[in-house]
Amino acid sequence: MANQAGINKISSIRNWYVTYQLLADVLFAAAISLALMALLVYILHISILWILPVFMLSLMAMLFVHKWWKTSELSIANFLNQQYPELEESSALVLKNEAQLNLLETLQLQKVQARLQEVPQWHNSFLKRIKLALALLLFASVLVWLSGRLVSLNVVKAERSLSIEKNVISEKILPQISAVDIVINPPLYTGKPQRNQDRFTLNIEDGATVTWKISTNIPVKKVTLLFNDKENIDLKYINTDKTQWQIARTINKPGFYQVSVDGKLSDLYQLQIVPDQPPVIRIKSPKQYTYIDAGEAQRVNIDAAINDDYGVSDALIFATVAKGSGEAVKFKEYKLDFGASFNSHQPQYNLQKLVSLPALNMEPGDELYFYIQATDTHQQQSRTDVYTVSIQDTAQLLSMDGMLSGVNQKPEFFRSERQIILDTEKLLKDRDSITTAKFNDRSNDLGIDQKLLRLRYGKFLGEESESDINPADVKDDPVGDIKNYGNAAVILDKYTDKHDNAEDAQFFDPELKKQLKATLTEMWKAELQLRLYKPQDALPFEYKALRLLKDLQQKSRMYVAKTSYNPPALKLEKRLSGDLSKINQPVSKSDIKPGTDQYENLKKAIQVLAQLKVTFQITGTDEHVLALANQQLSLKASAQPGVYLSALSAMRRILSKQGDVKLNDISLVEKAIQKTIAPAARTPVATESSADMGLSAEYYKNLNRLNR
Amino acid sequence: MNWNPIVIVICILLAVFAVWKEVVRLNKSRLLPRIVASIIAVAALACIVIPLSYQIDVNKQDKNEALLLTDGFSKDSLIQYKTEKLFTLDGKIKKDIPKAIQIFDLGDLRSDSTITQVRILGNGLNKTELQQFGGLPLAFHPIPVKQGITAISWNKQLKTGEDLNIQGIYQNTLAKKIKLVLNGLSTGLDSTIIEAGKTAPFNLNTVPKNSGRNIYSLLVLAGGDTLEKESIPVQIEHAKPLKVLMLTSSPDFESRFLKNWLSENGYAVVVRSAISKDKFNKEFINIEQFPLDHLSAAVFNKFDVLIGDLSVLKTLNSAEAAALQQDVNQKGLGVIVRADSALKSDYWMQRNFSSDRLAVKDPAPVSLILQGKMALSAKLNAGIVYINNQNNIQSLVSDKQGHILAASTLAGAGKLVFTPLNSTFSWVLGGNKTDYAGLWSLLISKVTRKLPTSENWTVKSAIPTLSNPVELLLESATIPSDIQIEGGTIGPKQNAFIPFEWLVKYWPTSAGWQSVKQANGMLKWFYVYNNADWRSIRALKKQADTKAYVIQHAINSNVTKQIQEKATITVRKIYFYVLLLMACAFLWLEARFR
Repeated sequence: MANQAGINKISSIRNWYVTYQLLADVLFAAAISLALMALLVYILHISILWILPVFMLSLMAMLFVHKWWKTSELSIANFLNQQYPELEESSALVLKNEAQLNLLETLQLQKVQARLQEVPQWHNSFLKRIKLALALLLFASVLVWLSGRLVSLNVVKAERSLSIEKNVISEKILPQISAVDIVINPPLYTGKPQRNQDRFTLNIEDGATVTWKISTNIPVKKVTLLFNDKENIDLKYINTDKTQWQIARTINKPGFYQVSVDGKLSDLYQLQIVPDQPPVIRIKSPKQYTYIDAGEAQRVNIDAAINDDYGVSDALIFATVAKGSGEAVKFKEYKLDFGASFNSHQPQYNLQKLVSLPALNMEPGDELYFYIQATDTHQQQSRTDVYTVSIQDTAQLLSMDGMLSGVNQKPEFFRSERQIILDTEKLLKDRDSITTAKFNDRSNDLGIDQKLLRLRYGKFLGEESESDINPADVKDDPVGDIKNYGNAAVILDKYTDKHDNAEDAQFFDPELKKQLKATLTEMWKAELQLRLYKPQDALPFEYKALRLLKDLQQKSRMYVAKTSYNPPALKLEKRLSGDLSKINQPVSKSDIKPGTDQYENLKKAIQVLAQLKVTFQITGTDEHVLALANQQLSLKASAQPGVYLSALSAMRRILSKQGDVKLNDISLVEKAIQKTIAPAARTPVATESSADMGLSAEYYKNLNRLNR
Repeated sequence: MNWNPIVIVICILLAVFAVWKEVVRLNKSRLLPRIVASIIAVAALACIVIPLSYQIDVNKQDKNEALLLTDGFSKDSLIQYKTEKLFTLDGKIKKDIPKAIQIFDLGDLRSDSTITQVRILGNGLNKTELQQFGGLPLAFHPIPVKQGITAISWNKQLKTGEDLNIQGIYQNTLAKKIKLVLNGLSTGLDSTIIEAGKTAPFNLNTVPKNSGRNIYSLLVLAGGDTLEKESIPVQIEHAKPLKVLMLTSSPDFESRFLKNWLSENGYAVVVRSAISKDKFNKEFINIEQFPLDHLSAAVFNKFDVLIGDLSVLKTLNSAEAAALQQDVNQKGLGVIVRADSALKSDYWMQRNFSSDRLAVKDPAPVSLILQGKMALSAKLNAGIVYINNQNNIQSLVSDKQGHILAASTLAGAGKLVFTPLNSTFSWVLGGNKTDYAGLWSLLISKVTRKLPTSENWTVKSAIPTLSNPVELLLESATIPSDIQIEGGTIGPKQNAFIPFEWLVKYWPTSAGWQSVKQANGMLKWFYVYNNADWRSIRALKKQADTKAYVIQHAINSNVTKQIQEKATITVRKIYFYVLLLMACAFLWLEARFR
């Protein structure tokens, strides 16, 4: 009996185990089928209902692989033995036939059976697979969600592209016309092939030749195309039955047209023109103003991108070199090509050109102006702004011309940078004739000079240096003097900063300070190169520093040209008499009539349309007003058929008086009118007084009296 | 014999026994629910034996009360009233509730002596209908309006270029957003959103492009559905050109641009600018030339507005100054004073306007706020002088800091505008004509002499609708004759106290624009709405009118007073049976599942 309880226990544990594993399988199958379906729906766009067979299939596969129902009670017993040591590896005894047990086993069984009852029904490890399956399911759900978003995006896209198709206005064709074939020959510049269409609505390139071939189902006398309500073009029949008609025409203007068969007019058809855009040029380098300092390579790399809607046929650089200055300036023009072939008429070109300035006979001080001009296949040209490249004129920089006149007082350090440059150049010239050690020495000396100069300028900015210009050289240091022993004033004088000294105070504006700082930076760089024994590399920085210093000098100057003026002789007897009697008073009289409102007809039409919404009947005068508005709308439509054509046809439908006026047509016309008419400008207006027998006027007068 | 105490005692004992049984049970699980369930079971048992009842206030109907059903009543509310006397004015309600008797004159109720009070259900009646009761006491408990526009206002008469401003309150009790769209010429012009469950004011704006009589529409949209579509009739008139006199101390840009702008629009402009002592440059545009060396009452009388530099106005000789003051105070000439550097003076035009200078020497350009305009203007160098805020002046133009840059005040029959602005022409130079026109239109419109009129029509009814009387008010100095509305002659009624007011009552037969004209007056138009228009507002108006009537004719006799009585209502026993069953079921099931 006790044995039976043990068997029950184990079989119930087995049931739990099997249930959990089956559940895990179901979850696994669900996760797998979800993930699979997400993939399939995304790639193959199959119906979501396929998920059921897929799920069943995967579940079956899982079950038959694992075959949980075959889990024997013995294996459960073994599992229990592993998990619970108190069972002493003997739980399998329970399953054995009692009769077959030996004595020891019987004893052991009795011992274990009680413990077996205390073993809990289920074990945490049963859940392991379920947990894994849940995680997988979660992952699959995320996958489904993501793919769902992608699919929905695709659907939206697909719908959009479809809706464009739907937007094409359905055309009403005259009943006599059985077929229409329109051959569009795009102009040469587009490089597009000929195309055919069977719709009257045209969307063509500027200058395209359109051939209409209209077949009628019965012989007709005359077929005409009416362009923009003005121009009539008769089609010619090409067969004796007079059922095939044809005409070709080159179209340059947008608008609308109608087909007339034996005097019967068709709907309005849109005639839209895609104009050719001039080429677009973008210069990536150089910058609009480029300054080549001395020592820099005298060349410019012109990098430009040219775009056109159909094709670029040519691109050139137009360069002008300006030599000399003042009145002696001379110009010379060059046409440079990019060296690329434009024969293929690509719509986009990326072009580079390295212009060597000396090749254009440019010298220091000269300037190069250039622009790029591009021509497209339609012979439309466009050009860029003018770009400037100038080479620094070192001779000008070193000349004393600017300084000879004007301010005489020149602090000595303004000359020093120039001196350093001259010395550097001399050093470079001497390089071949002196030893390397000497060269290096002199370069280092120049570096020291440069440092001193920098420190001097640094003072202007209130910079302080730890090392004084030459502390070792200071012979008569007052602090070192024995006579000054204990004199605090002397020590203070030496070691304190005297910021509030009026003599040292700086009166530079921030702009000037910025430039000074830039100068110092250049000096720093020059010094670095000099100390590295590279005077060649130091030169550009020195020049730059000098140029900045010169600019600083020029900043405080101003030039006022001398003028000459000979006043007429004064009549002394009239002077200061105050007699104005002979001076006439100017009087002017003019009449300015405000311009007539060009939208008057449309505004009147609004009233008529509002009335139509209630009555749906057009009277004679209304028709006249609407006809005038129709003319104005037709003008608008010939300029912008895409926007106004639907309103124009709606207006025609209203005017045709075939059946009742449709509200939809009215609102179409109203919308177009609202778009057309300009907003009313505000003007001052007078309010009306109330017809109150002077009561309010009396009130205000009395109010005034009381206020006093 | 009252069994109740016995039942209660037995039940208490039973409850104690049951609880004790539960407490002493060996299996202690779910003790508290068991105890609660047993107590509930016993209590329910007790309640089945003892009939439980409660008391509420009920209206005991006066037998002499009649019920009048009006639009918007709820059928369910009828159950409360057990009167036989059901009346209605509406054929539709009669169809719904055949018991109701349709009457066509409310006087019938008054003349029926058995009726001492009328109870109105629904939204109530309008003023004209209420008058027919002739003081019969009413009881009225309206259902508040839940969804819709509860207030609306817009400027019905506009001049070209003026803003159409629609303001109102929308009450939204729906769980979704409401979109209000102002539609004109089938085009959406402005819109606003009312959040779900909010009651919020709204403001819609547009500058109408067209003129004449127009009907804009206000759409109330919830998602894709149109909840309401209301008509907004607007009449837009062309502005009549005015006559403007400009006196400047020297030819300057400000007056030159102002002159150009006004004359372009067809306004008559005369400019007199001093070029030397007693020498003037005179320009006459769109007006006949006349001598202008000396200003006189005759000269001032020709013009609607005078725009003058303060220095010129101050230095007018005594005769000219007196003529000017006379014309402003008595005849209503408007003056725009362009201030000079003097911050204060006792000159009569500057007395009300004391100015001050900004602390900064060179202020940055500022955007101006124009009176009646929502949007800020473009930036303008407004100078450093501004007007102090004080009594008797109205600010017209100010900047964001509240510095007033133009203000107006009354001067007798006329008005004065004072402004230190003197570089508004830079707007025109910058191509910004809108702000320039906005500013000067505001200033000139504010002061200009009022146009004399001989008649003035106003619609007194808030929302005139079909088959309801429309009240029109005619202000006329002369006795009106032959007033015609849509071809029918109507006699006016003179106000007993104000002799120039005449009341005209008209029953419109069709919706839409209706013309009204008196013998030698102008043709005027007013709009009659359809019965479906502005439902919520009209319901509110009716409720308010009816409430006002109820308060005015309060019930004062005891006989007709409502009798409030306590009624005892027995609670149905089925509830306790269910409760008992549930408690017992729980106890039984609990015993099964241990």
